[in-house]
Amino acid sequence: MTISRRDFLKASAAAAAFAAAGAPLLNPLASGEAEAAEAGIKWGKAPCRFCGTGCGVLVGVKNNRIVATKGDPSAPVNRGLNCIKGYFLSKILYGRDRLTKPLIRKGDRMVEASWDEAMSLIAGKFRESIDKNGPDSVAIYGSGQWTVFEGYAASKLFKGGIGTNNVEPNARLCMASAVTGFMTTFASDEPMGCYDDLDLGDTYFLWGANMAECHPVLFSRLIDNRLRNPNVKIIDFGTRRTRTSQMADQYVRFNPQTDLALLNGIAHVILRDRLYDETFIKRHVVFKRGKENIGYGLEDKFKFADEPKLINFDEYREFLKTYTPEYVSRLSGVPAKTIVELAHLYADRKRKVNSLWTMGFNQHTRGTWVNNLVYNVHLLTGKICRPGENPMSLTGQPSACGTAREVGTFTHRLPADMVVMNPEHRAKAEKIWGIAPGKIPAKPTYNATEMFRALDRGDIKVVWIQVTNPFQSLPNLNRYRKGARKGDGRFVIVSDIYPTRSTELADVILPSAGWVEKEGVYGNAERRTQQWFKLVDPPGEARNDLWQTMELARRLGHGSLFPYKYVEKEIWEEYRKFNEGQGKDLAPYEAYAKARGLRWPVINGKETLWRYAEGHDPYVKKGEGVSFYKNKADHYRAVIWARPYEPPAESPDRQYPFWLCTGRVLEHWHTGTMTGRVPELKRAYPSAVCEMHPEDARKLGIKHLQKVKISSRRGSIILPVDLNGRGKAEKGNIFVAFFDEGKLINDLCIDAYCPISGEPDYKKCAVKIEKA
Amino acid sequence: MISDMKKRKWKTVRMVVQIAVIMLIASPLLGASFFHGNLAGGALFGISLSDPLAFLQATLASRMFIPSFLLAALLIAALYFFTGGRSFCSWVCPVSLLTEIGDSLRRRIGMGERSFPLAWTRWTLAVVLAVSLLAKVPLFEVISPIGITTRAVMFKAWLPLAIVAAIVAVELFVARRIWCRSLCPVGGFYSLLGRFSPVRIRFERERCTFCGDCEKICHFEEVLDYPLRGGGSQVVAGDCTRCGDCVDVCRTRALKFGTGYR
Amino acid sequence: MDAENSKSGVTRRRFVRDGILVPLSLAVAGGAVSTIFLRKGDARNFYLRPPGAIEEKRFLAACIKCGKCAQLCPYNSIRMAGPEAGVGTGTPHIVAREIPCYLCPDIPCAKACPSGALDSSLQEVEKIRMGTAVIVDRENCLSIRGLRCEVCYRQCPLIDRAITIEPRHNTRTGVHTIMEPVVHRDKCTGCGICENACVLEKPVIVVQKSPPVQKDYYDF
Repeated sequence: MTISRRDFLKASAAAAAFAAAGAPLLNPLASGEAEAAEAGIKWGKAPCRFCGTGCGVLVGVKNNRIVATKGDPSAPVNRGLNCIKGYFLSKILYGRDRLTKPLIRKGDRMVEASWDEAMSLIAGKFRESIDKNGPDSVAIYGSGQWTVFEGYAASKLFKGGIGTNNVEPNARLCMASAVTGFMTTFASDEPMGCYDDLDLGDTYFLWGANMAECHPVLFSRLIDNRLRNPNVKIIDFGTRRTRTSQMADQYVRFNPQTDLALLNGIAHVILRDRLYDETFIKRHVVFKRGKENIGYGLEDKFKFADEPKLINFDEYREFLKTYTPEYVSRLSGVPAKTIVELAHLYADRKRKVNSLWTMGFNQHTRGTWVNNLVYNVHLLTGKICRPGENPMSLTGQPSACGTAREVGTFTHRLPADMVVMNPEHRAKAEKIWGIAPGKIPAKPTYNATEMFRALDRGDIKVVWIQVTNPFQSLPNLNRYRKGARKGDGRFVIVSDIYPTRSTELADVILPSAGWVEKEGVYGNAERRTQQWFKLVDPPGEARNDLWQTMELARRLGHGSLFPYKYVEKEIWEEYRKFNEGQGKDLAPYEAYAKARGLRWPVINGKETLWRYAEGHDPYVKKGEGVSFYKNKADHYRAVIWARPYEPPAESPDRQYPFWLCTGRVLEHWHTGTMTGRVPELKRAYPSAVCEMHPEDARKLGIKHLQKVKISSRRGSIILPVDLNGRGKAEKGNIFVAFFDEGKLINDLCIDAYCPISGEPDYKKCAVKIEKA
Repeated sequence: MISDMKKRKWKTVRMVVQIAVIMLIASPLLGASFFHGNLAGGALFGISLSDPLAFLQATLASRMFIPSFLLAALLIAALYFFTGGRSFCSWVCPVSLLTEIGDSLRRRIGMGERSFPLAWTRWTLAVVLAVSLLAKVPLFEVISPIGITTRAVMFKAWLPLAIVAAIVAVELFVARRIWCRSLCPVGGFYSLLGRFSPVRIRFERERCTFCGDCEKICHFEEVLDYPLRGGGSQVVAGDCTRCGDCVDVCRTRALKFGTGYR
Repeated sequence: MDAENSKSGVTRRRFVRDGILVPLSLAVAGGAVSTIFLRKGDARNFYLRPPGAIEEKRFLAACIKCGKCAQLCPYNSIRMAGPEAGVGTGTPHIVAREIPCYLCPDIPCAKACPSGALDSSLQEVEKIRMGTAVIVDRENCLSIRGLRCEVCYRQCPLIDRAITIEPRHNTRTGVHTIMEPVVHRDKCTGCGICENACVLEKPVIVVQKSPPVQKDYYDF
């Protein structure tokens, strides 16, 4: 490795100084600015560490410590605001149990070790396993919280150096279906629209998205649109009455899984009542039908390949015949009249119509399909690629888009929408990476769930987990937690900033640098790429995950893959080569140091607000209006997919009569490892509860706050019942948040996944409830 | 020690009861749920019990009449009526347990025999009831060392025990058992009941050697005046706590527990 | 001579006892008591009483400090006041910031009260009126400043009834909403969950005294 630690530090110190000088001191939000300036606090910019909204924050640093954070007034996403998690960003790195030294397992104890000891142990295990069992016996499991650099380095080392496609992010668990939805419909990942659509539209259909709690600042923007324009309508489709439903104009409750039928029902009415945009369809759309009855990925080594066939409009119409409002109503529980009304609202030519969705769609055994189906409605009505009128998938992690999707840290992916299955794509990557042709394996290996199944079986021996907490977040957790500690050569490395439910199963724990303790780039849900400099040193011996990955590379003899001096900048410039000319162009590194993020494609320093749209996207030629220019195979058209309704992997029955849905709350983020260390957030929402319908509770003789035992076929848990909380479960449903590390609700979840995206369904499984 | 215990049979039984009462009050802390509350008001196996004086104060102060509260108070009043009135003091009250220990220390360091009149408790009782009625505050419940001690046990609230410590300190240096003898309105209340209680100490004159041991051991020695000075064959004073110390100490068995009026 | 000596001895002992030890022990006792009594009282001069508590003055009159309500509280929300409470020494109260009242559906505390200080006939938690939440510091309330906090609202056990959100346009950013939590006194039970949950160091929403609405049934 050619970079010296000194150079590395020098570069980041210079960068930090630059950033601090550039950060404006004015924030109308907080009082006492003058005092802060006088107190010698220096401010730098960074994106928020939490969700995919990508709010900008200013970070106040004094004596090498974060002393304050505040919403960045010049950040376009949030304009100085934050949600309550963002408000406490200054505390997330300073929990008392911060990991500061590498730890190596000695029997049941974790013993402090030096970096050299830890890294040589890790490198030894990698080498041993690769020699004995081949490169596919080692894996890295990262996340949508990896910085672009960390994800890029991991992908480069594993795919380009070690020669295995065993690279997966936790983003597989949260938006893989959105990816496959975009890819199958538009042949290019990520939305056409942006957050400006929240300010400009008239109708918003929310599908399986509790924006009020999970995208708080965006929700505030959406509601403001309605405050300014009384004409605006917000319709919330859901299986649980949430804070979002509370503020929506209409709440449409449907039976779990029947979103597939509902969307087909809406399309049926649009065709029946001739509400579609014929010109748009003729110019921009093809119709396809794929394999049906595709399974649920429940068995190990599940494999699926779709066989799409082109169909015509009439065949599509024929396909939709069965989805009459009456049939859909029987299936979904939504009145037929409402379905017709909503179809008309979707197609209303006088209104700019948007769809927004998150995990209700993506964490779905037919996640790809349901993503396809919502695009169908927009494509049929031509309500797409126009300011204020788009379908938009929201993300949950700060760089699910920026790193996992754009860098392509999935087993089958390479940067810029490329895939390992495509020889041209591999060749391009091999060229940019300067490695021997044929080095990158052509076959994808495991999706996230399969990766941990492989670890359980022993096909994977060594797994390195970075910036995520799979042993709390995987479904059917019992199996994978046990699998990790089966011994027999299995070796689990976890890099994190705090002890977690995953570090407790590790053989080596590496202390990482978090957030602004390193330089980074994140990409949010509206294609906005945001950069920050390192602002403080990590505590103790904690080190950047990027350094950790490169150190392993060096010790495995792949040091030449990372010949950088100013690592981050040089990785960026190298990474940029993948994107150039691909409709995903990124700006030079310096541009991001100055800007509060730029939405790609960035061409000649100009960001793109609406993709595929003439006048906004430079790739679209004059006179084209709209061009889905990435879908060469279908003559630059988008695909309307005939996707049927199919039942979920597991439905309630006599023995397990309730649906279990899991999710998030505003106060905590994901597995709560950071928010749980902020005393104020912990106090505000200390532990998980089981939301239940009062009538169901009454039937079972359960009172509010009484403890119940919830069991599925896979596990059980004891929780107090909440009959009157922020979320109101529908009859026959319960809801539990998954942040609570003391209550592993994912023990109960089924590890069924969408065969196309590989994303598990955390929203539907069957459970029973007994008094505890 | 064993012989000592045998010799002091009643004292031993009494201490077992005293400690059992404290354990009962502490039982919810140990996870038991058959008893809640304290000596002012409690519930044993769901039966509500209440100190009659607490009932009187609260009722006078709040001008509310709660029938179940009265019933709870009547149950306790009946209990102590049949067991001797101030038997509450020597058998149940934890403050009495503490001040007895203080008094034995006082005897050991020889602080003398000074004491104040027993009759004062009737006055303090009157004052407590009057203040409760007029000031609308259950006066004694605010400052009650019994309440403080029991709540200390129930909630581990040790700090207010300073008041009890102060009482023990004052008794140590000023006069014997001032609190229980002369000030405690609960004692005052039960002394009124005790006067008519069927459980009494009997005195057999023909066995008595007039050694004076009983008067020495008794903390409320005035109550023995009546039988000893020829008044009759039993202790009749309401202030007798039926502690049994005199029975224990009497070598000729001239003093005994008995029932009935003579 | 002997008699005189012994007499003067007694006198001296009496002098030591009555002249020095008695005042000394009184001073120590008095000092201890008054120190405890004079300890910093509650700044708001308001004690959050358990569910069903009758009007404060009568509550103080009726409570016999038996502690049953506190013992039966499954969350240890109810604690007994120390001597700093003066006349209220030993009375049950709730320090919402530490442990609020979670409004058990069967209200075990009120049911246990023997003396009527807590109305044991109380059946529905919605009817509990311990006090009322008030946003006392609007300037520092994060929600009113436009941040997406509203923790008090979402944790309110009577969400959308006792606390609602009143959205209004945020003129400063131009595209966001200020989601202001508004307390409805006619619905608020005063359980203090909001005060407990407030994320600021000094809670901006606190439970205060509510106007008396309770009826006393056994008046004479």
